Amino acid sequence: MYRFNSVVFVILFSTLLFYSCDEVINPELEEASPVLVIDAWLNNAQGTQQIFITRSQPYFESVLPPGVSGATVLVSDENGKIYTFSESKPGVYVWSPVGNEVFGEVGLKYDLSVQVGTETFVSEARMGRAPVIDSITFFLVEGGQFADDQYQAEFWATDPIEPNDAYWIKTFKNSQQLLKPSEIVTAYDAGFSKGANFSGITFIAPLRTSINPFDEDDDGNIKSPYVVGDSIYVQIQAITEAGFNFLNEVRIQTDRPGGFSELFATPLANVATNISNVNSNGSKVLGFFNVGAVSGLGRKFNSLDDLTKN
Amino acid sequence: MFIRSLILFVCLAQIPALGQTKFTVSGYVKDAANGEALIGATIYIKSLLTGATTNVYGFYSLTLQSGNYDIEISYIGFNTQQRSLVLSENTRLDIELQSEEKQLDEVVVISTKDQEGVKALEMSTNRLDIKTILKIPAFLGEADVIKSIQQLPGVSTVGEGASGFNVRGGSVGQNLILLDEATVYNSSHLLGFFSVFNPDAVKDTKLYKGAIPAQFGGRIASLLDVRMKEGNNKNYEVNGGIGTIFSRAAVEGPLFKGDGSFIVAGRRSYADVLARPFVDVLQDGGALNFYDLTGKANYNINSRNRIFVSGYTGRDNFFFDKNQGFTWGNNTGTIRWNKIFNDRLFANFSGIFSRYDYSLQFGENDLDNFKWKSSIRNFTFKPSFSYFLNSNNEISFGAEVNYYSFEPANASGTSSGEKVDISLPEKYNLESALYIGNSQRLSSKISIDYGIRYSYFAGFGPGTQYIYNDTIPGRRRTPVSSEIFDQGEVTSTYQNFEPRFSFKAELNDVSSIKASYNRMAQYLHLISNTTASNPLDVWTPSSNNTKPELSDQWAIGYFRNFGKEQMFEFSVEAYYRKTQNQIDYIDGADLLINEFLEGDLLTGQGRAYGLEFYLQKKVGRFTGWIAYTLARTELKVNGINRNEWYAARFDQTHNVKVSGFYDLSKRWSASANFTLISGTPSTFPTSRFVVQNMLIPYNAQDSRNNVRLPAYHRLDVSFRLDGKTVKRNGKERKNSDYWVFGVYNLYARKNPFSIYFTQGKERVAQGAPINSEARQLSIIGTVIPAVSYNFKF
Repeated sequence: MYRFNSVVFVILFSTLLFYSCDEVINPELEEASPVLVIDAWLNNAQGTQQIFITRSQPYFESVLPPGVSGATVLVSDENGKIYTFSESKPGVYVWSPVGNEVFGEVGLKYDLSVQVGTETFVSEARMGRAPVIDSITFFLVEGGQFADDQYQAEFWATDPIEPNDAYWIKTFKNSQQLLKPSEIVTAYDAGFSKGANFSGITFIAPLRTSINPFDEDDDGNIKSPYVVGDSIYVQIQAITEAGFNFLNEVRIQTDRPGGFSELFATPLANVATNISNVNSNGSKVLGFFNVGAVSGLGRKFNSLDDLTKN
Repeated sequence: MFIRSLILFVCLAQIPALGQTKFTVSGYVKDAANGEALIGATIYIKSLLTGATTNVYGFYSLTLQSGNYDIEISYIGFNTQQRSLVLSENTRLDIELQSEEKQLDEVVVISTKDQEGVKALEMSTNRLDIKTILKIPAFLGEADVIKSIQQLPGVSTVGEGASGFNVRGGSVGQNLILLDEATVYNSSHLLGFFSVFNPDAVKDTKLYKGAIPAQFGGRIASLLDVRMKEGNNKNYEVNGGIGTIFSRAAVEGPLFKGDGSFIVAGRRSYADVLARPFVDVLQDGGALNFYDLTGKANYNINSRNRIFVSGYTGRDNFFFDKNQGFTWGNNTGTIRWNKIFNDRLFANFSGIFSRYDYSLQFGENDLDNFKWKSSIRNFTFKPSFSYFLNSNNEISFGAEVNYYSFEPANASGTSSGEKVDISLPEKYNLESALYIGNSQRLSSKISIDYGIRYSYFAGFGPGTQYIYNDTIPGRRRTPVSSEIFDQGEVTSTYQNFEPRFSFKAELNDVSSIKASYNRMAQYLHLISNTTASNPLDVWTPSSNNTKPELSDQWAIGYFRNFGKEQMFEFSVEAYYRKTQNQIDYIDGADLLINEFLEGDLLTGQGRAYGLEFYLQKKVGRFTGWIAYTLARTELKVNGINRNEWYAARFDQTHNVKVSGFYDLSKRWSASANFTLISGTPSTFPTSRFVVQNMLIPYNAQDSRNNVRLPAYHRLDVSFRLDGKTVKRNGKERKNSDYWVFGVYNLYARKNPFSIYFTQGKERVAQGAPINSEARQLSIIGTVIPAVSYNFKF
């Protein structure tokens, strides 16, 4: 139920926005020591797999966090197969395939072990499956007072019948990933949440159209997500249920459109991690470990003939 | 001969009995102009230094030795009446009081009698007369019941946009709000900017911050008892107003040739109607409005029986187009029967129906949409009795039975034409109570009030109950087993004894000390994990996983009147409230349409304590009051804030309210409000980290509410111009009207509602540095002028 909070309420209260005020400020924040961050999301796409190890920074830092060198990173599956990750740049640990191999096998459980200094951090994840994307279509939504004519994209895929699959849906427009917090799209089976029972059907409409970026131009009008000449690539990455909860928590903490949606916002809270220090009294660790299959499909918006007529 | 002696003996035997027998004088006290019962009017016997006050139906009863008495009946704003009474048998004496002529030094009322602060047994209560409510400058020129009580000590909110109000550090869902005895689940329209109470229909409001009588229960922080007018039983009367946001009209008049009366009052907002030609969004069936309609009728069957029927319906609509948007509303219907069994036993029987619903719709057509509806239906039966044992004891006893049916989600999602039902099962509960109490005068200076309430709560089937696993505190719990119940089978039960006690000792004619102790139990919980309470908050009943909330409150206060004509009233009150089974949430709690909601809830204990100062000037051209509260409210929950005490979201250390009223001339009057409240607590991050190109904030201490926002302060001013009272030809005008010109937030302060942390709105490419910023949101960041025109004929 995430999307409605930001979109619907902000529009509905546009008449009252005249009275309210949302501005940047510079509060002083408490100091804190950096904490180790292990960013390990692995999948069975062609090519190398990377694990990133960094540290947390003060909140108002403006550069990306520096990498942590000298860690030993190992991933193994329940059959004993070991994947070694070697440091290629500070903080970046890479596994390179041999020949045609890809990382992982759907259904197996994987263990992560990262040794930094004298401490070891571990995690586990079971590799889930990702459904094939059947097609991507484009359709027209006519513009109005606040928006141009919109050409939107929609992907079509069906969740497998057995329940309890979870996915992270990523979109790349012209090879650039859509990375805004509001563009973190998660699905549980074909719907939004576990309790909702949407297994075995086509992904629901709000998910199918979640692959559209909405940016404003200089006049404040909403631009069309795609124009003729753009290309789109949609990737469905399988995630564990813990990964689904993690990404939802990240979105709740980072997607802050401001304005009236703040009336419905939850307070700041730390997101959970599924990585732990083998020594429970040792240093804290942040981040997440996930293994999942991926499937993807791309399409180029060649001309207006590509539009699906409804 | 024998017969004559027998008769003489019988006659003589009566004489001593006549000298020692007590008789009761009882009846109703009403406003002579319109027949409205006066609540809290005083009937005073000077020679005995004793008296009585009328109850919420305007009824009093006084038992005295037979004899001749001079009685004085008084009520603030009315001429005091003196009568002589020969009491030789049980006497029914109904009284009508005449309203005082409007004088230049009109008294502004907080108490119903000059001395009530000092002399009345009650403490921790504030009664607001409707005339006062209409004078307090409000938002957008509209007088409002809830905005007015926020000017009292001990009452606050977290800011504009928050529904509800907080009393003595209690949360919004811990206030029992009654409209003519029907429970109101959401007292706000338009996210707290206006309340659901139409001032044209309200007669009296009383806020109990503590020392709640045994007759009431079900919430642990406060009781707001709102009583509607009965309607003018002598003449037809129309009241109304046209304002910047909404307009209102009320019609009242006699029924059955004066044996009854009715009142119907309605309001509707029209921002959407005005904006429609200009805003596309509102043209395809969009709606942005709220309305409410209140109606009441009563009939005196005879001098001992009176029937009231009242109802309320109100709704807020926010529709983007005809298929998408959300709406919420309250509907209540009440039927009450006042019965005077005899001069000492007064009873009221109420049958009440209440329904609160909210729904959300999303999706442009029938192929793809999402619909969710949630509601609470509640049937209540309340018999309550007052037995005026003698002039020193008033015993009250009665019962209450509530049946609840909760529909947490009646919902479906349709995708490509395929509909999936995601409804949650209904829950059924019974909440009932028995109470008995006595209000006793031990001497002319000392009174005590003691009582006990026994409350019982049960859940029953059909339904399923879940048992959750134990995890690290602060993490989501998942269900490990479930139990299915058939229709009528009891699932879980709770019971509590709730003793209530209060005490008053008059030190002298102008000062007194009061103390009280209350235990309250609450079986329904308002679940809200957002910054402010809003209409999508969920009410959930106690169950095997969620225990009832309990509170113990102690309060002590000193009350003093001083100055010429006792024009100043001063009080200082200290309170301490300990609460158990307070509900908080795991980080990332999922509260909407979640069958396993209870796995996301955490419980802990709370404590709230404070000191409230109050000074009021009641007489003169300039009147007003200053209220200052120094308070703290904290929670301690395993899994939050490192298991240490942390400030609650509505903990505001200093809370200063100043209200002033000044009569400039015969027709012009001015009033002003100043509010200064310490900043509310908020959680700030210390650090940030990056996972998969996502920038995530982090608090290294795992703190909750570790920082305070800047203070909130605001000045509102309004001017009122009363219409002329005589026409050009010199004749008196039958109708009256007045204009209100108001300014809200005079010096345009941008009071912060929240400070939030975000990465900024610009799109960031993969691998590029990500900027993090802090932003402050003010809901009202500027000055808002408004004008309204109000009439009565």
